[in-house]
Amino acid sequence: MTIVSAISLDLLLPRKLKYIVALVSILGSLIAFVPIIFQYANYSSPEILFEGSYVIDKFSLILKGLFILVTYLTFLLSVNFVESDEYYQGEYYFLLLSSLLGALVVTSSRDLLTMFIGIELASTPMFLLSGWKKGDQKSNEGSIKFFLLGVLSASLILYGFSLLYGVTGKLVFSDIANTLIQSDLNQSPVTLLSAILILAGIGFKISIVPFHSWAPDTYEGAPLPVTAYLSVSSKATGFVALIILISKVFYASGQGLGIILVFISGITMFVGNLSALQQTNPVRLLAYSSIAQAGFILAPMAVAGITGNYEDGVYASVTYLIIYAFMNIGAFLVINLLQRNIQSDDMYDWGGLAREMPLAGIFAVIFFFSLAGIPPLGGWFAKFVVFRSLLSTGEIFGVSLGIVGAINAVIALVYYSRISKIIWMDSPSENIKSNNDTLIPSPLRVVGFVSLILTIVSGIFPGIFSNLGEASSIFFNS
Amino acid sequence: MSSFSFLDSGLGLTVVVFLPLISAIFIFLIPKKQEMLIKLITLGSAIVAFLVSLVVALQFDFNDAADLQLGTKVSWISSINSNYEIGIDGISLPLLLLSTFISVLAIIYSFEHLPEPKNAKGMMSLILILETGMNGTFVALDLILFFVFFELVLLPMYFMIGIWGDKTVRSVSGLKNDIETRLYASIKFFVFTLFGSAFMLLGFLGLYFRGNKTFSIPELIELGTNGAFTGTFATLVFAVLFLGFAVKVPMWPLHTWLPDAHTAAPTVGSVLLAAILLKLGSYGFVRIALPILPEQAVAWAPAIAILSAIGIIYGSLACLAQTDLKRLIAFSSVGHMGFVMLGISSLTSIGINAAMIGMVAHGIITGLLFFVSGSMSHTYHTRDMGRLGGNMKLLPKTGAILAFTAMASLGLPGLAGFWGEFMALLGAYNPLPGLNVTIFRSSMVAGAIGTVLTAGYLLWMLQRVNLGEPKEEWIDQELHDADNYELVAWIPLVILTVLIGVFPKLIFGATNDAVIALVAKAFGG
Repeated sequence: MTIVSAISLDLLLPRKLKYIVALVSILGSLIAFVPIIFQYANYSSPEILFEGSYVIDKFSLILKGLFILVTYLTFLLSVNFVESDEYYQGEYYFLLLSSLLGALVVTSSRDLLTMFIGIELASTPMFLLSGWKKGDQKSNEGSIKFFLLGVLSASLILYGFSLLYGVTGKLVFSDIANTLIQSDLNQSPVTLLSAILILAGIGFKISIVPFHSWAPDTYEGAPLPVTAYLSVSSKATGFVALIILISKVFYASGQGLGIILVFISGITMFVGNLSALQQTNPVRLLAYSSIAQAGFILAPMAVAGITGNYEDGVYASVTYLIIYAFMNIGAFLVINLLQRNIQSDDMYDWGGLAREMPLAGIFAVIFFFSLAGIPPLGGWFAKFVVFRSLLSTGEIFGVSLGIVGAINAVIALVYYSRISKIIWMDSPSENIKSNNDTLIPSPLRVVGFVSLILTIVSGIFPGIFSNLGEASSIFFNS
Repeated sequence: MSSFSFLDSGLGLTVVVFLPLISAIFIFLIPKKQEMLIKLITLGSAIVAFLVSLVVALQFDFNDAADLQLGTKVSWISSINSNYEIGIDGISLPLLLLSTFISVLAIIYSFEHLPEPKNAKGMMSLILILETGMNGTFVALDLILFFVFFELVLLPMYFMIGIWGDKTVRSVSGLKNDIETRLYASIKFFVFTLFGSAFMLLGFLGLYFRGNKTFSIPELIELGTNGAFTGTFATLVFAVLFLGFAVKVPMWPLHTWLPDAHTAAPTVGSVLLAAILLKLGSYGFVRIALPILPEQAVAWAPAIAILSAIGIIYGSLACLAQTDLKRLIAFSSVGHMGFVMLGISSLTSIGINAAMIGMVAHGIITGLLFFVSGSMSHTYHTRDMGRLGGNMKLLPKTGAILAFTAMASLGLPGLAGFWGEFMALLGAYNPLPGLNVTIFRSSMVAGAIGTVLTAGYLLWMLQRVNLGEPKEEWIDQELHDADNYELVAWIPLVILTVLIGVFPKLIFGATNDAVIALVAKAFGG
């Protein structure tokens, strides 16, 4: 309870003022972090509110912490960006905060309505934000695509939810699952149809194949901080919703959904990676890479759907989500930094940049190779827990998906290494402005170092994620 | 050695592994201009790591060389039951010493011999990170820890090749545009190795789930030798482990990254690559694949022997076709590592001992060969053997060492290279009872032909490069013979080559008991 009120207060504050809005938002998101830590430290048992509709447990607290921290970093990324353009600062921050509120609601939602409101609250502001660069055609195109598909996805989710409600007459997930099992409807076509509809709807949010086509255009058109937020926080919101739905409702409906998800996950990895290989625009490269990463995040849940080992699946997916969040924000930061020196959409124009910007160069190495999963950077542990959950039962779908994942990890290396190659190894481009490292504004430095530390620490001491294992078991059993 | 007893509980090994990494982080914080300070810190920490590894060696109980010693086990990733478990036995000790020693020499060499674009800070920190990865791999006794160290060497080596490597432009079949050698070689090295190790990780996970959810290598060996891993499962796991290690060795036909990487790498990179990185693969076979999956090792041994024999012959023939000095030495590595793998595949104590001394000898000799050839290509600005000649007259010191090393490399009795080749052939003649003798004896014959070919190409190389009259283009040029930094880096290797050649017990004294115990436990032989 305290948490909800604290956060909503924080969120309501920044609405009014114009210039201090940025400051208030940044401080607000930091302050909101405090009750989360407080609550986590004093945690004893899950708090269940509104007759089971809203649950605060360790799982949701960790994810809330993640969302707040990611939003905080996005704010820092945005400060210079928003100031440099003459757009509406107040609205910008307000919209991001609203989206954050939606994400926070999703983590705790345990019924159809709350979850739907959460999902939509999280994604609607993004329609506006992605079209923020009003004068830019690409931004408009991307945002329109995103909006149309977003509305479609919302209606698909809603339709799926209404089917579930129609069949069971219940709103709360645990009641739905029980009713489905008791009335022997868990394998029925209606349930499967609703599962597929919901999957398609959420599939847009998390950009898995075949619902991924909007992502590269929208990512390219949106302001860079918004893109970072889209690829991390929005994606994570969708995944959290999917994880909750699968492990609270659809666990009852047998292996069919799991098998579909296994195929989607594998294809997503291939499509994302193979498309990313051909990109020269760094933002589009990261867009396709984030599609491929979505395949990895989905994989453990997919296999859990077949083997029933949800605890491991949830643990792996959430661990991946958390590590992915920081390294991906770092990757966007790198692009932001490099673009400050040479404004270009073609990364091959950045030859030799690292010599003038060694700090950005090191960031590039750390974040991109972490995304590729090279030890001792955090990404390896993310990949490792995913492989671990895929192989845990030795079941054929899991093992095959593991092999697909291993092949994809190698493909991904080729394009993740490309930016480091260009800025460290290629001959210097003529347009380089010298000594740019010193001009990196301090908010961006903070983003860089926070993500850097989190990425490296999670790679060298992955033991810090052991709480998450406990949290996911509490989550699943509550 | 009671005075060093505080190093007992793993502290010594931990220092050896992490001191370089910590210095590397420290170096990041020093401004680029303080070049001398950076170099001295690097050298200092590498020397300290080497000295500590010597102290560890002195403390090591050679009467008990089969047991893992001086290690520790601390919880690392509790959620998956992976521990910081380290320790050494007679098998890993020589390799650990080799690694700390060669690192020191590599750093001394780089004091004055950095290729463009100089940047001592970058190069020194990469060497140090690399050293942590190499040392760590040799002491790790937990599969995940092993994996992390095994992979830690990739990034530094990738950048070493990619930034300081050979800038000549070449065409590559399958690529539209011509590409600089270093760029092509660095990504090829990275992708090949990652391909192997990604699958290797799946294999490790398989062992984990079938083997009581432990990643501990000693525990898995216990389980494995008691027949815990059998059937299709074991075949698959051995296959992926084979892939991971064989790429690194490299075994034919997975070797194609090696000539490119070696040719393109800067001198220090080639030395470290040849001397130590290749050993990570063969060490992986001896430490992990053989004892944990003995049944599969027996089943795969003939295939490994055949591939090794092909590697030996192929490597030698390829050497005969080379005009590039460094590329020739790179292909000779394929042949020499073929002998190492042939020794391992015999699954006898003679064969595996041969592999151990072969690894150390190859590390020393080929390391030295790359030092010398790198220095020569720096002096002459070419590696084309057709243009070289009369080196003995132009650069007498370098020429003498090149001649000596080539003799050692072709396996001259009395020098270190002899024991590995000779005993590997001996092992292949009498493989573990139950293995197909025909296959092994044919491999042995192929290996013997290989030694002749090896002598052939090395002597031919000497004739083309070292002997004869200098070509006209060099006569009026001022060419610098080996300077003091180079000699300090090279002479210890020359001495070691002779010492190990005359007293092979330096190596066998450590490895023999451990190898016999391994063979007895895994194969009952």
